[in-house]
Amino acid sequence: MIGGAETGGGDDRADLVVVSVNQQVCIGAGQCEMHEEATFLLDEDTGIAAVVGHAMLARDRARKVMDTCPSQAISITETAP
Amino acid sequence: MIEAPIDLHAASSFQSGIPHEAFATMRETPGLTWSPASNGTRGFWSVTRYDDLVTVSRDPETYSSGVGHIQIYDIDEDALEARASMIDMDPPIHTRLRRIISSAFTPRHVQGYRQAIQIRVANCLDQLEREGGGNWVDIVAKPIPIGVICDLMGVPEPDHDFLIELTDYLVAGTGTEPLEPNAYGNTTDLRLLPFNSPAAWAMSQYATTLADQRRRVPADDLITKLIEAEIDGDRLTTDEFANFFRLMIFAGNETTRSSMAHLALYLHQFPEAFTALRQDPSKLAAVTEEVIRYSSAILYFRRTVTTPTVLSGTELHVGDKVVMWYSAANFDETQFPHPHEFRTDRPITSPHAAFGGGGAHFCLGASLARLEIAELISALIDRDISFASTGEPTFVESNFVNGIEILEVTL
Repeated sequence: MIGGAETGGGDDRADLVVVSVNQQVCIGAGQCEMHEEATFLLDEDTGIAAVVGHAMLARDRARKVMDTCPSQAISITETAP
Repeated sequence: MIEAPIDLHAASSFQSGIPHEAFATMRETPGLTWSPASNGTRGFWSVTRYDDLVTVSRDPETYSSGVGHIQIYDIDEDALEARASMIDMDPPIHTRLRRIISSAFTPRHVQGYRQAIQIRVANCLDQLEREGGGNWVDIVAKPIPIGVICDLMGVPEPDHDFLIELTDYLVAGTGTEPLEPNAYGNTTDLRLLPFNSPAAWAMSQYATTLADQRRRVPADDLITKLIEAEIDGDRLTTDEFANFFRLMIFAGNETTRSSMAHLALYLHQFPEAFTALRQDPSKLAAVTEEVIRYSSAILYFRRTVTTPTVLSGTELHVGDKVVMWYSAANFDETQFPHPHEFRTDRPITSPHAAFGGGGAHFCLGASLARLEIAELISALIDRDISFASTGEPTFVESNFVNGIEILEVTL
């Protein structure tokens, strides 16, 4: 765990985490896509979320979007190198 | 074992709306509060604190939706099976059913209905203004949501009133007003019908007829999606489809209606909030959420304990009924400071429980409900509609829904 990541500010790179979606649990509520559309995308047909691109977010934003997921399908998997 | 201060089995306990005083007492009482058996319905535990409710909601393995009914009353196995839809199921089967239609309800998809919603809102408000007022529920709160969900499902416009009539009887079934058992030509034992109501039978018949039509001529609607869907290579049975249809019509109709009905009260009771909104349109989302929280359209849902556990210091045994009172948790001051204030500054990281406490059953229609209510609020602001007077609301007689039947307004 990167210490001091909670305080924010300073070097943003130190605060980046990788997020992932547990597709077994995802109910397609779409809150993630609504709040972080560069990171999450719901499949047109199935409505299930997936991360896009490098799936990296500032830790506080990752925490926030995790909280908005109604089925707790989002998790932080690792800190960025 | 501390007992609830009011009879939560009884619709009469809710005849003036949410029983805030009793719920406040229950929130402050350590542990869960007990409601003894009544009229053949087994007793149950009540959860009224926000944190406890979230715990229950997010643990379907311990607190199951599939093992007993999700209403307080008890029903037999066969009766449960006859009416079961995804709301009465746990993951993984719940998830597979929900996914048949969930893509139609994502925030992005829902935006596509905006114009259709605006048209319905406009028609209703035109009538209200033409008539100088009237029963807000009949003119505005009822027709908008039923119109929207019927459009989504693929129910033709001329049939909307019939479905309103049927869902009204279903809700009345949660109170005391009975239909004749053979109403609508019903011949099924009431015990096996959802809400023990012949109106449920009528709705199943109607749904089945529509399904047959869509099988012959598919359309771009949810009925078609449902009849074409396959789980493990099997299509939904007639009953499964009818139960799904009924769930959607009920859920997409009663609930939003209730919040829209209460909106008229809040417009009158909390004018500062709406003045603030007029001056700062960016507050629309916050005002919409506050309408939804404050009105808590669904008062509760029930879960059944599957493994012994302890919640908030109370020991729970297998088979215990645990009732999540969303309408109590939504006024928990530890989560919502000054809960009885209608505030436009509550943080989004403090979500209310009106769409549920989170987990797999989180309200499917949340984004749709938000959009409908937001469009209605916007239109009221744009048209500068205010009420010279509002009558006392007549609440729907139910311990399940926080509905309003009559709310006379004059412009």
